[in-house]
Amino acid sequence: MQRLDRLERVTDLLLVLLATPHPLSLREIANRVPGYPDSHGARRQAFERDKRLLRDEGVPVLVVPIDGEEQLGYRIDPDAYYLPDLGLEAEEQAALNLAVAGVHLGEPIGHDALGKLGAGGESPLRSAAAPLVDLRSVDGLTALPLLFDASRQAAVVRFGYRGETRHVDVAGLRFRKGHWYLVGFDRDRGEARTFRVDRIDTAPEVGAPNSAELPADFDVDRSFSRDPWRFGDGDEVDVDVLIDAAESGRVVGELGPEAVVEQRDDGAAVVRLSVTDEHALVLWVLDLLDHAEVLGPPSARAAVVDRLRACVTAGGVER
Amino acid sequence: MTAVTDTAGRLRRLLAILAWLAQVGEAPIDAVAARFDLTPDALVTELEMAACCGVPPYTPDQLMEIVVTDTTVSTLVGLALARPRRLSPSEGFALAASARALLAVPGSDESGALSHALAKLERALGGEQIGVELDAPVLLPLVREALAGGRRLSITYYSASSDRVTEREISPVRLFASEGHWYVDAWCATAGDVRRFRVDRIGAAEMAGKAELPAGAAGRLADDGSDGAGIGPPAGLDAFVPGPESRRVRLSVEPSTAWLVESIPAAGPPEVVDDRVELEVFVGGDAWLERLLLRLGPGARVVDPPAYRSLAADAAARVLRRYGDPEPADRPGEVTTE
Repeated sequence: MQRLDRLERVTDLLLVLLATPHPLSLREIANRVPGYPDSHGARRQAFERDKRLLRDEGVPVLVVPIDGEEQLGYRIDPDAYYLPDLGLEAEEQAALNLAVAGVHLGEPIGHDALGKLGAGGESPLRSAAAPLVDLRSVDGLTALPLLFDASRQAAVVRFGYRGETRHVDVAGLRFRKGHWYLVGFDRDRGEARTFRVDRIDTAPEVGAPNSAELPADFDVDRSFSRDPWRFGDGDEVDVDVLIDAAESGRVVGELGPEAVVEQRDDGAAVVRLSVTDEHALVLWVLDLLDHAEVLGPPSARAAVVDRLRACVTAGGVER
Repeated sequence: MTAVTDTAGRLRRLLAILAWLAQVGEAPIDAVAARFDLTPDALVTELEMAACCGVPPYTPDQLMEIVVTDTTVSTLVGLALARPRRLSPSEGFALAASARALLAVPGSDESGALSHALAKLERALGGEQIGVELDAPVLLPLVREALAGGRRLSITYYSASSDRVTEREISPVRLFASEGHWYVDAWCATAGDVRRFRVDRIGAAEMAGKAELPAGAAGRLADDGSDGAGIGPPAGLDAFVPGPESRRVRLSVEPSTAWLVESIPAAGPPEVVDDRVELEVFVGGDAWLERLLLRLGPGARVVDPPAYRSLAADAAARVLRRYGDPEPADRPGEVTTE
């Protein structure tokens, strides 16, 4: 007799567990699904392997106590297995497929998601000239799906950040300049805060659904701190920075024209930044080398000069 | 792509095929096979196997009604295994983030099929949680146009690694956003090689003639590197590709600043040496290393090559001149310690 393909057995098992209104014992399952060994031990082993495979594929196989000698019964709750129909039109399916093909996440997980929605496979429509977007910074960010789920369920999350435990009502996730950010209401600070997801120290613990208490007028996009010098807890200081012509176009493009307080004839521009983290500002200015100069206030100018002097001094020490 | 042979992978693929077939009704065998990366024979075998599955007493709603003809396959809508399934948090995230990212590309159709699909998806997932912001450099539309139309561009380009402005003729091959910037991979006639350019560092651009792409040039941009073996660095989507002219520099940094070097191209994993972190980075130009060292601060050192050991101090002194520093700190030999 030809040995049965395991895929056939697993597919049958999936169908049987989905169709049953009450939990089935392993014996009942073996009566309905061809291909399990006759001996009890081998049958149990084969079934456990199949169950693990289904669970690894995200199939919610329930184990429930039942009457009778076998004690345990198995089923799949269809409500937990199926998504309420999204009602996607054909062209919307195709658009989602192209989005997944055009965005690199570092894992094929988007393709699996498409498969579940009936939009899987490789679409022949993709053009080589279409722009690609690399979101690979999600790679290894295990906190991201957890935070996403917390946000979906309006749950409060707890995590370690810069050595402190924070309790945050999650409002949303934002991607900007290669990094993912969590925007939410920080209960310990009593204020809106932005956190860099890759700087979260411990796996977020997600609270009960609807445990989040976001202020009614909370606006994610307005609360999102975009610039590194806005991440600090210090007082706001307006800092003016002169940017040379070589870099002014790019910098003004990034900051927006509203940041410019003076446009000079030689192409240079003076931008005004509202700073709460002076150290972050210094790092940003140094990245522009001698194409930028902090004009004021004197404290910010001194911070740059001090650091540069320290670099000169350190470079002179014999090692 | 590697062939799927394990049962889990085959199950995932089978369910994806059934779900897709349920959406389209009937499709040519060749098209389905190509879409799901199978040979036509393997597809038919897999579907015929699935057609044998079912639940006793095999009522019509539980039978796997899959019809395979000589040229087409079809399945019935409402099949138990063809209905959309719930997404895991990672999958929901991946899908919503991908759609958001593509909609964030400047010039994308904000009222098109993708945004409708995203709205439906977000409704099912429970709201709009994800936002993606991408840069919108002024010249991006022109570069896109050149790429789509197979045209060449004359550009002026500011290279941050060498701190110089150059004029070049480029034929765009690929456009992508990575780590907060847009890049265009192109054949550069001036360099006679494939080069990667940051779109926001293109100072001026003009449409020139038809794109020129010598044979083999596109191969160097192959994602898997296989086509380009031997003729240049394989280029994935990394923002920086170590070119032939790039040098390896060994740095020693303080652990508290190590996060600044986490995302830069390194030749190997960092090592802890005497409570400090050492790593070897690829340096494409001196200016790039100056930037990095000034950001790392006085605690960072170049270990090797020795010629770079004074680079940071020299750069710092140069920048200090902008601040009119009359006493640019202590010079070598004048350092006193208490």
